[in-house]
Amino acid sequence: MVTYILQRLGLALLTILAISVVSFVIIQLPPGDFVDTYITNLAASGSAVRAEEAAALRIQYGLDQPIWVQYWKWLSRVATGDFGMSMEWGRPVLEVIGDRLWLTIVISIAAILVTWGIALPIGIYSAVRQYSIPDYVFTLIGFVGLAVPNFLLALIIMYFGFKLFDLNIGGLFSAEYQLAPWSWGKIWDLTKHLPLPAVILALAGTAQLIRIMRANLLDELRRPYVTTARARGLPEWRVIMKYPVRAALNPFASTIGYLLPFVVSGSIVVSLVLSLPTVGPLLLRSLIAQDMFLAGTIVLLLGVLTVIGTFISDLILMWIDPRIRAGMHG
Amino acid sequence: MAIGSQFLARLVLGSALVTGIVPAALAQSSLGQSGLVGQPEGITIIADPAQWPKSFNEAPQLAELVKQGKLPAVKDRLPQDLMVIKPVKEIGKYGGVWRRGFTGPGDNENGNRINASDRPILVDHTGASPNPSLAKAWKMSDDGKTFTLNLRRGLRWSDGAPMTANDFVFWFEDIYGNKDIVPTPISDLSPQGKPGRMVKVDDYTVNFEFDVPFFLFEDLMAGDTLIGGGQAVRQSDKRSHGGYAPAHYLKQFLPKYAPGGLDGANAAAKAEGYDNWVARLHFKKDWSLNPELPVLGPFKTTQAINKATWVMERNPYYWAVDTAGNQLPYMDGVVMTLAENLEVLNLRAMAGEYDLQERHIDIGKLPVILENQTRGKYKVHLDLASNGSDAVYYLNQSYDADPEVAKWLRNVDFRRALSLALDRKQLNEAFWLGVAVPGSAAPGESLPYFPGPGWREKWSTFDQKMANEMLDKIGLSKKDAQGFRVRTDNGQRLRLQIQAVQAFLPWPKISEMVADQWGKVGIQADVRDTERTLAMTRSGNNEHQIMVWTNGGTELLYLFPRHAIPVEAHPSEAFMGPEHGKWFVSGGTQGKKPEDPEILKIFDLFRSAAGQKTDGRIKTAQEIWKIVIDQQYGIATVGQSSALMGVRLVSNRLGNIPSRNCIAQHCRTPGGAHPETWFYKN
Amino acid sequence: MSAPTQTAAASPLVTVAEEKVAAATQLQLTWWRFRKHRLAVASGILVILFYIGAIFADFLAVTEPHATEAARSYIPPQAIHFFDEDGSFKPHVYALKGRRDMRTFKLIYAPDPADKRYLRLFADGYSYNLLGIFETNRHLIGLDRGKAEDALFLLGTDQLGRDVWSRLMLATRTSLFIGLIGVGLSLFLGVLLGGISGLYGGVVDTVIQRVIEILRSIPTIPLWMGLAAALPNTWSVTQVYIAITVIISLIGWTELARVVRGRFLALREEDFITAAELAGASRLRIIFRHMVPSFLSHIIAAVSLALPAMIISETTLSFLGLGLRPPAISWGVLLQDAQNIQALGIAPWLLVVAVPVIIVILAFNFLGDGLRDAADPYG
Repeated sequence: MVTYILQRLGLALLTILAISVVSFVIIQLPPGDFVDTYITNLAASGSAVRAEEAAALRIQYGLDQPIWVQYWKWLSRVATGDFGMSMEWGRPVLEVIGDRLWLTIVISIAAILVTWGIALPIGIYSAVRQYSIPDYVFTLIGFVGLAVPNFLLALIIMYFGFKLFDLNIGGLFSAEYQLAPWSWGKIWDLTKHLPLPAVILALAGTAQLIRIMRANLLDELRRPYVTTARARGLPEWRVIMKYPVRAALNPFASTIGYLLPFVVSGSIVVSLVLSLPTVGPLLLRSLIAQDMFLAGTIVLLLGVLTVIGTFISDLILMWIDPRIRAGMHG
Repeated sequence: MAIGSQFLARLVLGSALVTGIVPAALAQSSLGQSGLVGQPEGITIIADPAQWPKSFNEAPQLAELVKQGKLPAVKDRLPQDLMVIKPVKEIGKYGGVWRRGFTGPGDNENGNRINASDRPILVDHTGASPNPSLAKAWKMSDDGKTFTLNLRRGLRWSDGAPMTANDFVFWFEDIYGNKDIVPTPISDLSPQGKPGRMVKVDDYTVNFEFDVPFFLFEDLMAGDTLIGGGQAVRQSDKRSHGGYAPAHYLKQFLPKYAPGGLDGANAAAKAEGYDNWVARLHFKKDWSLNPELPVLGPFKTTQAINKATWVMERNPYYWAVDTAGNQLPYMDGVVMTLAENLEVLNLRAMAGEYDLQERHIDIGKLPVILENQTRGKYKVHLDLASNGSDAVYYLNQSYDADPEVAKWLRNVDFRRALSLALDRKQLNEAFWLGVAVPGSAAPGESLPYFPGPGWREKWSTFDQKMANEMLDKIGLSKKDAQGFRVRTDNGQRLRLQIQAVQAFLPWPKISEMVADQWGKVGIQADVRDTERTLAMTRSGNNEHQIMVWTNGGTELLYLFPRHAIPVEAHPSEAFMGPEHGKWFVSGGTQGKKPEDPEILKIFDLFRSAAGQKTDGRIKTAQEIWKIVIDQQYGIATVGQSSALMGVRLVSNRLGNIPSRNCIAQHCRTPGGAHPETWFYKN
Repeated sequence: MSAPTQTAAASPLVTVAEEKVAAATQLQLTWWRFRKHRLAVASGILVILFYIGAIFADFLAVTEPHATEAARSYIPPQAIHFFDEDGSFKPHVYALKGRRDMRTFKLIYAPDPADKRYLRLFADGYSYNLLGIFETNRHLIGLDRGKAEDALFLLGTDQLGRDVWSRLMLATRTSLFIGLIGVGLSLFLGVLLGGISGLYGGVVDTVIQRVIEILRSIPTIPLWMGLAAALPNTWSVTQVYIAITVIISLIGWTELARVVRGRFLALREEDFITAAELAGASRLRIIFRHMVPSFLSHIIAAVSLALPAMIISETTLSFLGLGLRPPAISWGVLLQDAQNIQALGIAPWLLVVAVPVIIVILAFNFLGDGLRDAADPYG
């Protein structure tokens, strides 16, 4: 058991290392570097950066060195907890990410909760009332959420929210809390702004969960113990809720790890459209500007969160399912 | 500020910078119908000290600080040589925060422009004549070798320290003169490659001395240039120009003055998390990042640009008052909120969440913007620019990767035919809502540099038949099965590539229409929608065939020539021939010498202009424009429009807003309209 | 889920039909079970119709989808009048007169009842290569008089005055085939790597599983951005098209690999594989001759569920400005056109592209569900 956990931990570390390499390479893939972006922006305001100045800037940022040297330097700094300076924002990377990471996690968790809140009841209902009209209707609604690109949904909801209901345009805070330090008022303000992005994000994942839940539950409902329970005259809802639903929930544990990157990836585009202060737009911007340390750190952080999520779900699965526990010795 | 000096200024500079009062677009009665285009109007500077107010008022917040003893009295904060402004309409009142949208740390121009008065000379609302700003007067010597700047006496930085000629000399010697900060001299200070000097005459007088006549310098000083641009724009975002800098504050970061010299400066930088002293200095001298930095504009940063909001408050030492003696600015400050994308920014503007916004507003959204006027409680103004074209198709004259394509790009009749094949009216309707003026790249008709009647139309009208005939005649008469002309070397279809960037205008989309129109004369053009930095890097490497960009700024040909003639090198957006630009800039040591005698002629004319007096410069500029238009190195479409910063949403609560803004780089839209005189009516 | 078939097969009463069942291949069994899933069957037919439509996209289009004309900018969808004044069935449209209102800056188009244009089938229009073989200028519908581009705007026009209906037809072709090619590639990678992983196990399995885990732990956006930005700008639309599908499938294969691996792990223990191994069949032969056919239906199901993801990926890439770019026409490109306030405010019909996207994705999902249920009643 302990060896298994250690083994998994070792693998997780290895995975994180690999993610850091891959993320660094990805960021380097497009031609040019941050200095090019910077020069482009300056040129637009009428300032010209001469080749000599560009070269000086490259040295200042260490961009004149080969990529593996840059990577190694970055990694050794990361190991000490120093993620470097964001080139574009001129602030330490962690400070730039700051609240945005927590807001991303908050939105993601809210989205996951909404997803489950919608998907589980519908999944249970459509399994119990298989091939009924509501089964089709709910499934259809779930699928529409999957089929409409959520960036489009976000823009439409934002525009018509503004046009018809005078809703706030994007963002996660009202103007008065934008600048304010954290307080209960600000948290409440955030809570009021959360549902819209959470629902938009949640809709994309709902259909898949409905399907999983429905299939799992159908399998369970056919098992002999259910028939036995029914035969013993238990009320139908107890028959369903007591064991089959619980059993059907098991596979959900294994998806927790992957839900996070899925929701975060989805949230990048939605956050961009809704102008939410999450890491999504920041990541996109840093990738375009080739702000390497910032982009690299965000990708790395998200990767680490995923690995941790996977690790936890592995542990949960192991705890739930004795077969896996047995398998790990063999 | 004496009347005499302003008169002198007009005499010397005036006519060279005269901008159009009535753009040709207004002649189109349809635009007049909209009721959105106002008359140019602007503040008046009271030059006669006899008419100046004798007592002064200040904002309640500042009065409170004075009462607490934290700030000197208002009359002690103001300079002897006052700037007295008569606002556009009325005396305003204090209060209110200007809400505005910005797009992130790269958008510092958004605020730089608001602080545009922190330069020695600033053009007036017509963009035509120079007004005194930090300088009360200036003069160019008769031989064109000495330019004298007279600063306002008693001017103070936002921390109360006096601002004098020493701050100019400090910049010249310790910033500009330090190779670690500014590795290469700027052409603004080196006529014919011969470096000029800056000399302190007395505390309030600075001389710029040159070895050769440099009459152009007066234009440079009054334009949005490296030397005349002032602190906010020229020293933010790692830039290090601007002509002056706060010596009393910045000295501590320089190795020359820092305790412990170079090592001390570097150690202090490391301790604060910077790699070296240069990196630290770049941060410290950036007004948008460093709230401690002393500034001269109406506002100073209180929360840096690299946060979710960029917040500014009024500069308590601002050196201008209204005619009633109220110290400006009226507004308490500016709050810019970060919009992660432009759709959200535009939507927020329509929701009335901004009080005045012209930057990042998309002209394509004008119908929707107008629709929401009442509920957003704003009024829309259409301001018209005076550059010739918002989308010029620059044909790379130094392109060499594909000899066949290069051959045609360098063929003048090929270029003319492509220009004649364009139906500019179509483009105007589809993308400019019909508000622009179709024609050549020449600046507005009423500008002094406009080459004359007929040059708006020259090779720039729609004539498909003639275009076809010309293409047939130059040897492109063979066509493939689909009707496209074929290459002369291998018989394959001739394909041109248009590199288009989604930046200020939807250039990729515009190019789709252009490509369709060229297709009708048998020329296949492929649009390449390219990310901006990538596009710039590619053109720097001489890889593009055709690049589309605006020619905004070319109305002042000598100050911003890059989009009119190929005299600048990468990274200065050298689209017309990066290698030729390199050759010109390097004095023939790098790049490629143009074979085209017309380009060489342009080079000669451009070189000669710097030493010419106003009239000579005007003639030379017209001469250059004639060659440029006749040769069609860049194929212009439509211009003099509201497409860039010309759609202005103004809250109904704001007062003293001019009904028309000058839209140009040197007008520092909206800063040239003096935001310090704007106020909230309720 | 197709429980009725199961019960029948398990019945002790042997009928002719059941003998047939006993002799049927896995594929036939699946097909029989699938037929009972009516929604899935309907979806399948719909998908086939969409692909047929995509193949004949040019035939269904009415005007050249790249032809621009500012005087036709932002025309709203047009009303078709089916009956003439005399009551006879003669579908027609009215010609339009447009002008710009200089107060609102909107374009206003008014139908001109005096200028009737009758619709006709198999009309002449722009010429194109049907099936890439023979050139023709026949189109399903057109006008009896005048050119279609002057008067026929079934779904309105975009900013450049291009017919939305015609563009939609071509976009459908691009996007449906991107999906197909992308899934094909994913499938190849997924089956190969998933198969190897499941068949060999051990170190190979661990390595492949790690790679999958890493790929899935990286947010997809930077992956796409890095890969898409690395495409040379000189590439033609077709090359970009292929590259984009490759990029999409490079990321999409992991899920398929997981499914395949799972099936392989289960199958490895089956007797007939052991038999094949003992008979000395090569690994490749075992994989493709014995193992793949036995779970083909699973793969088909997985594919039909992977296709919608590909299509959504393509639209997201285009939205981010990374995918196909104009002048290419795809659902993503058209959706991007609709992604701005002026489109929502003054030309909401540009959103119509969302309709086929939704329909196709729904159809694929139901089809996939049906196939999976049919392939494995317990899966």
